[in-house]
Amino acid sequence: MRVLVADDSRVMRQIVIRTLRQAGYDWEITEAADGAAALEIAKEMDPDLVLSDWNMPEMTGIELLRGMQAAGMDIPLGFVTSEGSSEMRETADAAGALFLIAKPFTAEVFRDTIDPFLA
Amino acid sequence: MSAAIDLTAFTGQDPILTIAEEVFSAMIDPEPEALREWFGETPGFTDPTYAWVDLGGEMPGRVLLTTERTTATRITRSLLCLGPDEVVENADFVDAFGEIANVLGGNVKSLVPDPGALTLPKVAHTMPDGPVRALMHEVRLDWRGDLLVIALWSLP
Repeated sequence: MRVLVADDSRVMRQIVIRTLRQAGYDWEITEAADGAAALEIAKEMDPDLVLSDWNMPEMTGIELLRGMQAAGMDIPLGFVTSEGSSEMRETADAAGALFLIAKPFTAEVFRDTIDPFLA
Repeated sequence: MSAAIDLTAFTGQDPILTIAEEVFSAMIDPEPEALREWFGETPGFTDPTYAWVDLGGEMPGRVLLTTERTTATRITRSLLCLGPDEVVENADFVDAFGEIANVLGGNVKSLVPDPGALTLPKVAHTMPDGPVRALMHEVRLDWRGDLLVIALWSLP
């Protein structure tokens, strides 16, 4: 499975990737440092899943999701964000996000959230 | 901003302390009770590092994290799984410590009704520039003997 991880923090991208490995996901992972870069990479790469931060420079995660949809790309996107309020979850859900994982997270949270979509 | 967070609604522990414990446990130090509330007098910072995010909305505010530079470096090492002798690059230091403020700020934002946008985190060795209105709430933390302070400021 090929996954694109978008976050403006290189540290957080590393933590997301490390946690995915800890959760048992041996995926091929590509990184993007902001939403705009992620959109371009997604167009080239056609990943199976995008894991995106919400608040990023150049293009936010929600703008990335809408940008992919506008480009006719049917790529599932899940948010991994520090903002996990019910309002944010509703916004993410309304925009068509697969899920929203709030930071801080654990490998168990990743498994519990992502596994149902892999089944 | 803290006036918009009814801290008395949280029976028992300060919700900011709870957020900090979750952040440290998941991201920095999984050892139980490695992060505790600071008790007793707090020493002044000799070489402080500040990381903050601002929240917009009807009651704009700031979540400011302050600690010694050495403590922020230790936090960076933990986040990046660096050994004690590995060099911590400044870009990684700013990224890592800023991300802690970002996660704290995002979680604080979840406590505030009708919050505005969260800014990207900033890190500096001096206090943030610009006016503030008032210190609304402060939590002093003890991470294995090191002091960290999380302060919630209201902004004009």
